[in-house]
Amino acid sequence: MLRKFFLICTLTFLPINSLMAVDWGSELGDHSGVDLKVQSIMDPYIDAVKEISPQFETATGATVTVEGFGYDGLHEKQIVACSQQDGSYDVLFIDGIWIGEFVEADCIEPVEDIWTAEGTDKSVIAWDDYIDSFAGQAIWDGKKMCLPFGGYWHMLHYRKDLFEAEGLAVPETFDDVMAAAKLFKDNPKYPELEGGYAMNMARGSAAGQQYYEWIYSAGAQPWESNYPGSPDAYADQRGLYNSPESVAFIEWMQEMVNYMPPGVEQYAWDERAKAFTQGKVAMINNWSVRTPLFNDPEISKVMGKFDVALFPHAEGAESVPPVGGWIACVNKHSKNRQAAWDYLKWFASPEIHREWVLMGAPPSRHSAMNDPQINAEQPWTPVLYESSLRAWQELRPRHALTFELIETLGIEVNKALTGESTAQEAMDTANKKIDRLLKSEGYIN
Amino acid sequence: MNKEKIEKLLFIVPTCLFLLTISIFPFLYSVYLSLFQAKLTKMHKKFFIGWENYQIILFEDDIFPTAIKNTFMIAFSSITIEIILGFIMAKIFFEIRHLKISNVLRTVTIMPIMLTPLCVGLVFLYILNPTLGIFSYILETFFGIEPFAYLGQPIPAKISIIAINSWQWTPFMMILLLAGLMTVPNEQYEAAKIDGANWFHVMTKIEIPSILSFVLLGIVLRLIECIRLFDIIYVTTRGGPGIATEVMAYFTYRTEFRSFQVGTGSASAVIILIISLIVTTIAVMLLRRVEKNEDFS
Repeated sequence: MLRKFFLICTLTFLPINSLMAVDWGSELGDHSGVDLKVQSIMDPYIDAVKEISPQFETATGATVTVEGFGYDGLHEKQIVACSQQDGSYDVLFIDGIWIGEFVEADCIEPVEDIWTAEGTDKSVIAWDDYIDSFAGQAIWDGKKMCLPFGGYWHMLHYRKDLFEAEGLAVPETFDDVMAAAKLFKDNPKYPELEGGYAMNMARGSAAGQQYYEWIYSAGAQPWESNYPGSPDAYADQRGLYNSPESVAFIEWMQEMVNYMPPGVEQYAWDERAKAFTQGKVAMINNWSVRTPLFNDPEISKVMGKFDVALFPHAEGAESVPPVGGWIACVNKHSKNRQAAWDYLKWFASPEIHREWVLMGAPPSRHSAMNDPQINAEQPWTPVLYESSLRAWQELRPRHALTFELIETLGIEVNKALTGESTAQEAMDTANKKIDRLLKSEGYIN
Repeated sequence: MNKEKIEKLLFIVPTCLFLLTISIFPFLYSVYLSLFQAKLTKMHKKFFIGWENYQIILFEDDIFPTAIKNTFMIAFSSITIEIILGFIMAKIFFEIRHLKISNVLRTVTIMPIMLTPLCVGLVFLYILNPTLGIFSYILETFFGIEPFAYLGQPIPAKISIIAINSWQWTPFMMILLLAGLMTVPNEQYEAAKIDGANWFHVMTKIEIPSILSFVLLGIVLRLIECIRLFDIIYVTTRGGPGIATEVMAYFTYRTEFRSFQVGTGSASAVIILIISLIVTTIAVMLLRRVEKNEDFS
């Protein structure tokens, strides 16, 4: 059944032209003497970016310098630099949810304008080869602003060995997750485990993003017009953060804290992944970009002992796996915009993307998801592909207030999780603050 | 204008220009921005809203008032601990001042001041880690206390911040009070000894009154430092859990450089400056009164 599903997907989404090799000699210009600077997140894929970039150097004569920063630091540096019309970095890797803010700040040169003016061969871009839920991250106001390259989707990562030992089925619902987490927490049979489950619960972005990652699968929605399949997610942004379903979800998280490791209230992305890598928790939900790390014998204690499954859902709700990831943009203030564009279209092309993924990076195109070699090297790809097809692109707000809004929400969620306020109080406050924020910028009346 | 006046002006003008560029202009620009709804990503679209930013952060939002409260709670608790421990340590070093080893010990003791608060925060972040930290390990191994997230719960997080802050700055207070103790004339100790005064009498009647101006100086300097408290919070708790350790400087940073709401951020910066001015003015007035022996003679 699953095989048939993927065959249909492959035939439907895989454009023939994406498989064809590009003549890079005629497609790329001569950029000898150009030092192209790429500003990136310090995510696990950065080594693969550094590894593959010399091919571009050979083809164009340019030198490529890739610099990595932490999540918050990258956002801060990029926006501040943009406000000063700074062109120090030519290529900006930005989180898909920052797109509205970067457009507002006039930081990026829309790629659609560039390729239209240049008449770029469509097979180089192969936009249809991008998975919709991820491609949407690079579009703002109907225009393709950047090129998607590093799509992430959330999957449930669980310890196959422990589940088999306990005769447990793979968790599908929130109740399954909680029952399994409860079983593994403080279980004398597994003294190495410090908790059954780990989530991002640290104040701010971590807890705020965690909320958005789960809320649709909890059967709720964050604001009036945002639900999977909504024709216009931003039509009515009045908050539903304090809806009964949303509050019930926070109460579920509060209970889950009991089955998590001590200190989970300070867990963000790294801590969550480390807990699983070190074999301290039996389950996590995690972005696919970190999945290869769990199979890295140098850092992982769970190599070969884990498996992945679809993101869990509440009883009666559907699984809506979170989507995120990174898109590559041309800095509007760069002096090397032509070289930057050449790098972008080369790096994001299906051919180079495949090579990049085989270096350990996350697959983000239909062609990569269906590639036999990638499937062999990253055996979680079928589940990832199914997750990517079920995901909802407007998972988190992508307008200019996204960072502030997620942070505001994350503070209130964290207050509920640390007992500073009840779930209802926290979400009432979050709703009030977010509505005020949106009103102040004219997003709602 | 005669030559002398021109010479004086030539000396003064660079200083004035420096002050104007480095302090006065940024301050005035902050006041100006605080009256606008302004975001760094669209400064060209900023618009005048009067005192609304002040009204929002002071009266409509709970975070900044909590940040003010937290800042002063942390300052008051830290400084109190620093004075008590600093005085005890100063007394010990005062008593052993004739020993050669006292110089070495004093140098070792003041090492925390030499570390940047960022490093101190990082070190304590590891020490207090519930699963990997040595603090939890010691408590669990020797006292059977279960690992606990000291920075993950509101009250323990506050206590941890106060403890970290006090650990770093107690040596500073110690040095200051030791300098004060060194100024007490030896004759006073001899007279007290002849009169049969015990250690408590010596401490309360001779030493504390003599070093009061040093204590106040320490309070003023530390108060200014505590109002600017940022690095330790940034590294360890980021103002959390919830808003339990949110302080004024961190709120301003967050508003300015994470949300890029420069109007609101400027308003909070102006409030911090006003609070600092009020607090330091009061403290300096007290210090002057002590120096003149008006109330404490």
